[in-house]
Amino acid sequence: MKQEIFLGNGAIALGLMEAGCQVMTSYPGTPSSEILPEVIRLVESENLNTYVEWSTNEKVALDNAFAAAISGKRAACCMKQVGLNVAADSLMSAVYMGTVGGLVIISCDDPGPHSSQTEQDTRFMARLAKIPVLDPATPEEARKMAGLAMELSEEFRIPFIIRPAIRVCHARQDLAWDKLMNNPKKASFEKDPGRWAATPRFRFILHGELNKKLEAIGERFSDLSDINYHNLEEGKRYPLGIIAGGVPFAAIQDILADEKRDHIPLLKLGAPYPLPKRLTDEFMEACDKVLVLEETDTLIEYLLGDNQKIFGRISGHVPSEGELLPQVIFDCLNKILVELKLEPFTGKGNTGVTELVQDLGLPIRKPTLCPGCPHRASFYTIRKARPKAIFTSDIGCYTLGLNLGAVDTVLDMGAAITMASGFYHAYKQDGVDQPVVATIGDSTFYHSGTAGLLNAVYNDARFILVILDNLITAMTGMQPTPGIGIRADGSKGKAIPLERVIKGCGIDFIKEVDPYDTKAMGALMKEATQHVASPDGGIAVIIARHPCAIAYRGEAVPERIPVEITDDCTECNLCLDRFECPALYHDETLGRTSVDQALCAQCGVCLQICPEGAIVRSAEA
Amino acid sequence: MENVSMIFCGLGGQGILFMTKIFARAALDKGLPTLGAETHGMAQRGGSVVSHLKLGPAASSLVREQTANFLLALEENEAYRNLPFLAPGATLYVNAETDVFPRKEVSPYMEKQGITYHAFPAQKTAMALKNPMSTNLALMGFFAAYENEPFTHDELRETIISVSPERFRENNLKVFDAGFEFQQ
Ligand code: SF4
Ligand code: SF4
Repeated sequence: MKQEIFLGNGAIALGLMEAGCQVMTSYPGTPSSEILPEVIRLVESENLNTYVEWSTNEKVALDNAFAAAISGKRAACCMKQVGLNVAADSLMSAVYMGTVGGLVIISCDDPGPHSSQTEQDTRFMARLAKIPVLDPATPEEARKMAGLAMELSEEFRIPFIIRPAIRVCHARQDLAWDKLMNNPKKASFEKDPGRWAATPRFRFILHGELNKKLEAIGERFSDLSDINYHNLEEGKRYPLGIIAGGVPFAAIQDILADEKRDHIPLLKLGAPYPLPKRLTDEFMEACDKVLVLEETDTLIEYLLGDNQKIFGRISGHVPSEGELLPQVIFDCLNKILVELKLEPFTGKGNTGVTELVQDLGLPIRKPTLCPGCPHRASFYTIRKARPKAIFTSDIGCYTLGLNLGAVDTVLDMGAAITMASGFYHAYKQDGVDQPVVATIGDSTFYHSGTAGLLNAVYNDARFILVILDNLITAMTGMQPTPGIGIRADGSKGKAIPLERVIKGCGIDFIKEVDPYDTKAMGALMKEATQHVASPDGGIAVIIARHPCAIAYRGEAVPERIPVEITDDCTECNLCLDRFECPALYHDETLGRTSVDQALCAQCGVCLQICPEGAIVRSAEA
Repeated sequence: MENVSMIFCGLGGQGILFMTKIFARAALDKGLPTLGAETHGMAQRGGSVVSHLKLGPAASSLVREQTANFLLALEENEAYRNLPFLAPGATLYVNAETDVFPRKEVSPYMEKQGITYHAFPAQKTAMALKNPMSTNLALMGFFAAYENEPFTHDELRETIISVSPERFRENNLKVFDAGFEFQQ
């Protein structure tokens, strides 16, 4: 037995490997990104033969895992909650067909949101698709649920979803674990076109089958005493009870313990759908009022459906957006205790500290591109070259081009391109040639850029597309891309250069530039503008290629250029507002801009931008 | 030992995750149950970053307001921002010049709550040793100079030795020791 501290995502990986998961696919996205690397770590340290891949997107990942599962193997697929939207098409269909080996889909939610475009609740996606869903409260429980989901999936021949929220994914907990074994199961796909290629007539039958499975699973969920349970005393009535699942369950447990109020009964729903009706009926029956604590939406409230009895989001007692932090839960419950004339909490009165901190006027810390980030140089040049353009952008570090005024829209993966063509046609219809510049990262382009680009070319849209190729998936923690041809486990795959893909999409203008050279990139922007405007031109694609300053520290800055600022600085603040390098700051005492040498990456790009020539190369190395 | 709750805060890129990891590992080595929460993703690019750590039995990885025993802040403003986490009688360690911390608006509150604070120019100390990225280690050393609970100086130092990658080990210890020896 080893004792080790695992990240929640590591605990999930451990649970999957303990369950003999043989195939694991994923596309990275916060907060799910560490699950697959943790699987690889275990595969290597324990000498397992699990097949692991970074797939090009979430739908691709799910389809790959599904095929393995219906050939009898145990498979898993993980992604962030909005990634499940991309995989929704497969999801809806896969659950009708069912599975043979276990298939576990892990979709990580982001209440807050901390690092996502929505706070959507994966449990609702599960309900929509009619897939059973488990909602862990802690890393330890997530690990346990991974094994349970795999077993139940195989038993009932239906995919399972586990929905860990960010506070499970990025929690750390000490876990005891033992040697891991390979699963000897061999692939053997049994042809059955009525199921695996079902036409609508058969789909109707499959739907009936699915509904029967769900009924049986709901029954079983009432018996899963580890994850669905309550602490009611036989025959007793309660003025108030609490139903909670996932992360809020852990918070309410601590609060009730801290406040010594464990006589308030608690129903834990670690498996909320299909609803374990026997359990919830018992609980609702015994309590006059029930507070429902769940993230992020109202699944349990909807499934219970008793609006008279329930305190929750629908009644306005629980906030409808944002995380249910322990303090938020504490305040909600305390208010309800007062409302019901029950004894309120003893812990802390209002000390006024929140207001005190608010009044300090603390600086809001916007995330920014790193010092030396090649995207900063790209955005600076793009904006300078086409100041009047609409700037469509995409999901990744480069979303932060917002700060440089070079990002106007961020919708979803791949929308830089689809929205660029949309804007072009909307203006074109009025006879206006609105310049549009789209920016998208290399990994995002591989994920969902091509369909949009094919469409734009086919329908003769005109815009400049700048692919910000930093040779990595940076935002989510430095995963390799198909462009560099390194696979998830570090082995060599076939590299598929961007140029080849873009050419295949029908683009004639494809040019590469190093964005650190702002002059060269500026010149290329001019050339691209001409191509876009010319009658026999088209979409112009610029590949701004330079390695990420964090992933490729040494290579990213091949020549270290120490910089300093002279008294020629007129405080025009161009470098602070339009370039926004975190290493440049306004120095009160000097009355001018200055360089924070601790942060400076010595990329030397700022030398090219100061209109007064006040940023200079300094002598000291 | 009673349960101990800690908050680590600062700006993305300052090494908050590493600091949390050291404390969590030290707890593991002592056989204490550990549960913590971290910030990953977008905020790591220079935004406000907070880590929570609970030592001893707990269900939730998040520390509730006014229940933390320690706050270690790698940046002054982030220390203020996270003040609501501190329990009455808690202790705060901050990377800041001694003569500027705390701002006069917050002193009465800290006094009333019995919050002790220790300010120390951790970044300067790390810079002087040509390790600008090791502000976190300087602050940990400084912490170790005052506290024997939940970890002694030796326990923390041992953990840094075992957790640091070989090529950083010597430098990490140098900065940790400088923090420990500061003004002693
Ligand atoms: S991680 Fe890389 S791509 Fe992302 S902001 Fe930093 S340097 Fe730029
Ligand atoms: S050289 Fe200039 S642009 Fe590059 S990191 Fe340093 S201050 Fe920023």
